[in-house]
Amino acid sequence: MKTFLFIVIVIASGAAAGLIHGGANLIFVEPSLDQAIGIENQHLFASGEEKDTPEFRAQYDDYRIWQKSGQVFAGVILGVSIGSLFGIVFALSRNSLPGKTDIKKALVLAGIMWLTIYFIPFLKYPANPPTVGNPETIVLREILYLTFIAISGFGAVGFYKLSQKLKTKKIIAIAGYAAFIGIVFVAMPGNPDQITTPMDLVEHFRMMSAFTVSLYWLSLGLILGSLWNHYKPHKEITPSFN
Amino acid sequence: MSQSRQISVSKNGVPVIAIVALAMIFATGLFVVGFDQGHIFSLVYGEEAFHDIYIHELTHDMRHAAGFPCH
Repeated sequence: MKTFLFIVIVIASGAAAGLIHGGANLIFVEPSLDQAIGIENQHLFASGEEKDTPEFRAQYDDYRIWQKSGQVFAGVILGVSIGSLFGIVFALSRNSLPGKTDIKKALVLAGIMWLTIYFIPFLKYPANPPTVGNPETIVLREILYLTFIAISGFGAVGFYKLSQKLKTKKIIAIAGYAAFIGIVFVAMPGNPDQITTPMDLVEHFRMMSAFTVSLYWLSLGLILGSLWNHYKPHKEITPSFN
Repeated sequence: MSQSRQISVSKNGVPVIAIVALAMIFATGLFVVGFDQGHIFSLVYGEEAFHDIYIHELTHDMRHAAGFPCH
């Protein structure tokens, strides 16, 4: 395998998909974030912690513009990060993935990883806009979320490996994983925070959030698959003797 | 002239060094965007970084949008 080319392809596809994710968030998710932070501000005014003055508004607007630029910046960082995990799993599993081209193989893997380490955890611990989370439960919520993702991801790999070892059909592995994650889903405690924010805002935010994260996974599969198809980093370097 | 070079590879032919490098990028990026509360900058600025939570504020919108717990 061409090591350097492999790493470059993985990082480039992660960055590009992350840029798409961050850009899409500016369009689809930011309106809900602005609305939720507006509610937070109303709470600050009501409690007397801040005053609704033109100075506050000017400072707040500048701050939000800076945070929105961070949305795109963080999109690229997160894109490269998740893309790196995707690249590792793709390289290790490429020979076992269905599909004749690397684009199809990458899309299949993106779909599996989207389901197991994003969508199922999202159903258990859905995204929330600002104002919902209680600062006092942040560590517990982080532990629960990461634990569920890890259990789901390693569970999927475990059942796949087990079916390979036992030489059973893939459908058995899928059924085993489904039963396993179903039990974990019910057994793990839910998000401890009470939602007092209007539910239509929360639900709209969740829908938009799930849409842009899904767009990220689709872009990641397409871009990495296309680059892999084109540059073929898995091919050995042919030694030349002069 | 002959030259031999040894690179550790996994049984799938993927260089171990590439897996380690990408795993480090994965962990670091995930921590920066999803979990940092001043930890990284505290290495330079000390306790003050936990008050400023600069990275948290910069990645705040993506943290919410990508589904990470936040307050």
